[in-house]
Amino acid sequence: MRQSSLGYQVERFGLVLVWLAVIILFGAMRPDTFLSWSNFSSIFGSEAVLVIVTLGLIIPLTAGDFDLSIAQVLTFVSMLTAILSARMGLPLGYIIPIAIAAGALVGIVNGTIVLFFRVHSLIVTLGVGTFLHGITLWISDSQTISGVSRALMQYVIIHRTFGIPISFYYAVLLAAVIWYVLSYTAFGQQLLFTGRGREVGRLTGVAVGRVRMSAFVASGIMGAIAGILYTGTTGSANPNSGTTLLLPAFAAAFLGATCIKPGRFNAWGSVIAVYFLVTGINGLSVLGFRTYVHDLFYGGALVLAVMVSQLVSGRRERTL
Amino acid sequence: MPGEIHGLLGKNGSGKSTLIKILSGFHRPDEGSLEVDGRAVPLPIPLGRSERIGLSFVHQNLALLPEATVLENLIAGDHERVNAWFVNWRAEAARALRLFEEHHLDLDPWARVEDLTPVQRAQLAIIRAADRVGSHNEHASPGLLVLDEPTPFLPIEDVRVLFAMLRRLKAAGVSIVFVSHDIDEVMEITDRATVLRDGHVIGSFTTGSTDRAQIVEAIVGRSLSQTRLVGGDPAGRASGVAVRALRAKVVAGIDLDVAPGEILGLTGLIGSGYDEIPYLLAGARPAEEGTLRLDGRDRSLRHFGPAEAIRSGIVLIPADRQRYGLALDLTLTENAMLPGAAGRGTLMRLDHRSRRSATADLMKRFVVKAQSPDQAGSELSGGNQQKLLLGKWLQLDPRLVLLDEPTQGIDVGARREIYDRLIESCGRGTSIICATSEFDQLEMIAHRVLVFERGRVKAELRGGEVTKSSIEAACYGETRVHAPV
Repeated sequence: MRQSSLGYQVERFGLVLVWLAVIILFGAMRPDTFLSWSNFSSIFGSEAVLVIVTLGLIIPLTAGDFDLSIAQVLTFVSMLTAILSARMGLPLGYIIPIAIAAGALVGIVNGTIVLFFRVHSLIVTLGVGTFLHGITLWISDSQTISGVSRALMQYVIIHRTFGIPISFYYAVLLAAVIWYVLSYTAFGQQLLFTGRGREVGRLTGVAVGRVRMSAFVASGIMGAIAGILYTGTTGSANPNSGTTLLLPAFAAAFLGATCIKPGRFNAWGSVIAVYFLVTGINGLSVLGFRTYVHDLFYGGALVLAVMVSQLVSGRRERTL
Repeated sequence: MPGEIHGLLGKNGSGKSTLIKILSGFHRPDEGSLEVDGRAVPLPIPLGRSERIGLSFVHQNLALLPEATVLENLIAGDHERVNAWFVNWRAEAARALRLFEEHHLDLDPWARVEDLTPVQRAQLAIIRAADRVGSHNEHASPGLLVLDEPTPFLPIEDVRVLFAMLRRLKAAGVSIVFVSHDIDEVMEITDRATVLRDGHVIGSFTTGSTDRAQIVEAIVGRSLSQTRLVGGDPAGRASGVAVRALRAKVVAGIDLDVAPGEILGLTGLIGSGYDEIPYLLAGARPAEEGTLRLDGRDRSLRHFGPAEAIRSGIVLIPADRQRYGLALDLTLTENAMLPGAAGRGTLMRLDHRSRRSATADLMKRFVVKAQSPDQAGSELSGGNQQKLLLGKWLQLDPRLVLLDEPTQGIDVGARREIYDRLIESCGRGTSIICATSEFDQLEMIAHRVLVFERGRVKAELRGGEVTKSSIEAACYGETRVHAPV
């Protein structure tokens, strides 16, 4: 990596520039609605859930594993939170640890099957995620459950700092933690080698199995946190809520890997990618496009991001 | 020349691969011209067109699909001849059999490639290339085959079999360019050889009338002595590492001792099991039985993992650098500093600046030629990758260094640097076990050599007995045949 060269800096901040360009473009077209502070603060607040799901995804992705179950962990935990709060009236002090433990448990199940039976994570987490969705539909009777404790909403969406809902700050805090762990700790290096040179890592004493297991548990916990926040954001739990979040999260994870630290899944890149994507969607819907643009935009972005990252790595290979 | 086998020799980075890539259309040359069969060919050659103009390539990895059959591999990609919509498998099989028979090859079209022996795979790749170039050539000449290091994974007996095949192809009028590191092989098979250094042609030799030293000098640019770099007999002086009753899939009943400061060489023919020993002692592969004694503590090799080996001061430098040695798309710093980050999962802050400067120091000490510690491992040449790997492990001041083919695919100059570092670390009391099929390497650096046969130690040579010829004699017993098959 030529860290000093101009080209490299452009590559690092390319997505930020594109993001600004998108804001300017939509701002010029709809200055009164798109460029309003309330529009932006609602984008920042409500999409915190997507940021956290994306951050959760990049942990196993760095270790070379996919976690397709994370969106269903979100749905399940969101439903669990709603049921524990609205139906059973448990206080938040109990609900949150239970919810996080549930996410961790799903991570352990994923990790155990992947490691012990040596099945590809893509298949395992696809199956576990679908199974989890089944449980969610079952316990909720396929109904949206509302009437969640107002305290939860207070701590997620109602309370604002500098005009932005507090959930945004949770997401930023988690991004900072993951950024620190990935780039400044030995565990971050272990994750990296587990993903990019598994045998090299194993022969150098990295406990590859334990690292992968930790990554699954971490993504389960992140899914659970996102689930709690989701319920807090809407005050209710919808049994299909997470289903639409998986693809955007993957798109953001891969798009995020093209900036800040190009070629690697990274926390700040993921945050920027999420907000770039939702700004685009928001702008298009302000312009009057209907919901189908979501799929066009997210799907297109995922494929484009993967193409760009291939181009980048291809160019490196050719410079050999 | 038509019907000639021409050797192409040179160190890594001397321009061999670049030349081949230009010929296969992968690179665009800055200038120059090319003639094939007396006809000028416009450069650059469009990718995939090289067979039409009479050039065909066999790369080291052979480009065969292991799960597919011999026949499937043979016709794969042969779009010119094979109908895209319907494959007449019976006719194709008959054609393949005729082809194999013509070249005296014992290949079954329906066998799966992964079940073939290594030499059969090489034969298949070569016959496929020869077949293509012969049938697609626009000028209906037998064409030119470029063989890029086809032999390094073959035992000597198989190299002979392969050479016999090449001679038959040559007799049929096929021209062959034979690219290799192995001077002896080039001397044996080629009619003439060209040596490249730093992108220039140093000279062409008629191999029959040139002696080895001349060629070595042309490759290296200075003549290297092949004298022993180690002396004395450190064995028995003090206790070092002792292995007892080691048994695994391919080896049985192995006892070995290495003293501090001793380099123990392990060798034998391919399949004799010597090359398994480093992996077993490093905990990289489980043994069925056996103990390793170091510092008065016995460790069972049945339950021995890399992490425990490294904690005990045992490090492994594997033969397959690209897969087991370095993570190629990570930086040199990350690769070199991995041992420090690999231990228990810690959330302590890594000091990037000190990691980077430690890597820079290491690169200086081990003469790793690279632009910066932030480069990706893939950007280094094989020799520099290996030197970095050596630095990664020797910085730990290990008790026992295990090597498997430490100089595979590495040019003569870098080899010498690697030997120097190893001997230096020996001087500090490190024990070294080096498994290799290169006998002259053992002659240079090994205090003692164990020769393996069928998973057991067959002979032990020490001190002055460690010479290339006596190792050869021990390996092949009395029955060594040097004559071409």
